[in-house]
Amino acid sequence: MRDKNFLVAGLAMVVFVMLAAAGWANWMNRKHMAEMQAQRAMDPMVMGNMPGMQMGGDAGTGEMASPMVGKQAADFTLTDLSGKKVSLADYKGKAVQLNFWATWCAPCKIETPWLAELEKQYKPRGFEILGVSFDDLDLNDAAKLKTETADIAKTAKQLGINYPVLLDGDAISKKYGDPEVFPTSFFVDRQGKIVAATMGLTSKDDLESNIKKALGE
Amino acid sequence: MSGWVSTLLALMLLAGQQNPFGSLLQNSGKKDAPTEAVRYLYPEQVAVTAGQATPVELHFSVKQGLHINSHVPRTKDMIPTTILFPSDAGVRMSEVEFPAGKDFVLPVPGAAGDHLSVYSGDFAVRGMMTATRGEHLVQAKLRYQACDNRACMPPHTIPVVVNVESR
Repeated sequence: MRDKNFLVAGLAMVVFVMLAAAGWANWMNRKHMAEMQAQRAMDPMVMGNMPGMQMGGDAGTGEMASPMVGKQAADFTLTDLSGKKVSLADYKGKAVQLNFWATWCAPCKIETPWLAELEKQYKPRGFEILGVSFDDLDLNDAAKLKTETADIAKTAKQLGINYPVLLDGDAISKKYGDPEVFPTSFFVDRQGKIVAATMGLTSKDDLESNIKKALGE
Repeated sequence: MSGWVSTLLALMLLAGQQNPFGSLLQNSGKKDAPTEAVRYLYPEQVAVTAGQATPVELHFSVKQGLHINSHVPRTKDMIPTTILFPSDAGVRMSEVEFPAGKDFVLPVPGAAGDHLSVYSGDFAVRGMMTATRGEHLVQAKLRYQACDNRACMPPHTIPVVVNVESR
């Protein structure tokens, strides 16, 4: 009887040690995973790993596979620099690039001249760009809003933007997956479906490739 | 005994599913900290003589691979790094000095002429702190706008919490 108790106690000890070891290993594993996730989160741009985005896939070349790709582009109405209301629905039947940008975004300013050139080149084939500004606006302060709008217009002019620039991108951010980095572009085909997305500065060739995809070419 | 062992084995399996020590991220109170482009490093506590201006350096670290605009960006449309101290905490910061920004050009085609003034790596904000006698929890705010070479994040504010012991 005593031997049996001793055996049970020994087994219990072994199992307890194994249990502790398994728990420890699991904790270390989860800690490592959490650190990896935190690292990816810290490097959203460096590692091309923005929330909700993964590299590769069918989203196009040189960009992220966005969960938005394959979905219908949500309609919206925003105000352009001249105060005119502009809706995505106004562009029905056309291929559209929604370019989310901001005046404080240096990489945005690098791609903008390319966009102006591409818009000019592909416009006759039914392509349009809508620049959507994510600059903060004091919507409840008319004087400040006027100054802020003028500042955006000034930058747009300096960059040679020849397509509509819409204000208050934050208002439609949720509809497009709350993009957290700029520039971000969604390429919408003639049927209103998002066929590609880019986050961060890409090459002019990549942009052109996605424009062709939106045009169905 | 076999039932007893089975119970223990089941517990082992359970241990494989759950962290027995709780979630580090959830329990640390710093769940959002890893996503910050800028971290406040130190000091968490400073000792000053009541009523006397004392030099204080607040140290920050910019995540590797990222940069933020300096306090004096080269162009008006860039968002400067700023720090805001509460005015009603019994603690006053004066003569606040930011370091000079480093000259930076995005290493991508098309950026040749666009020089930026940025902070990367570690940097410190200096100032003279004057406090009334007693302990004060200063909750300042650092506002910055971060980018890497390909993209930018919207402006963001982080807390800068310093416990001030004034004797």
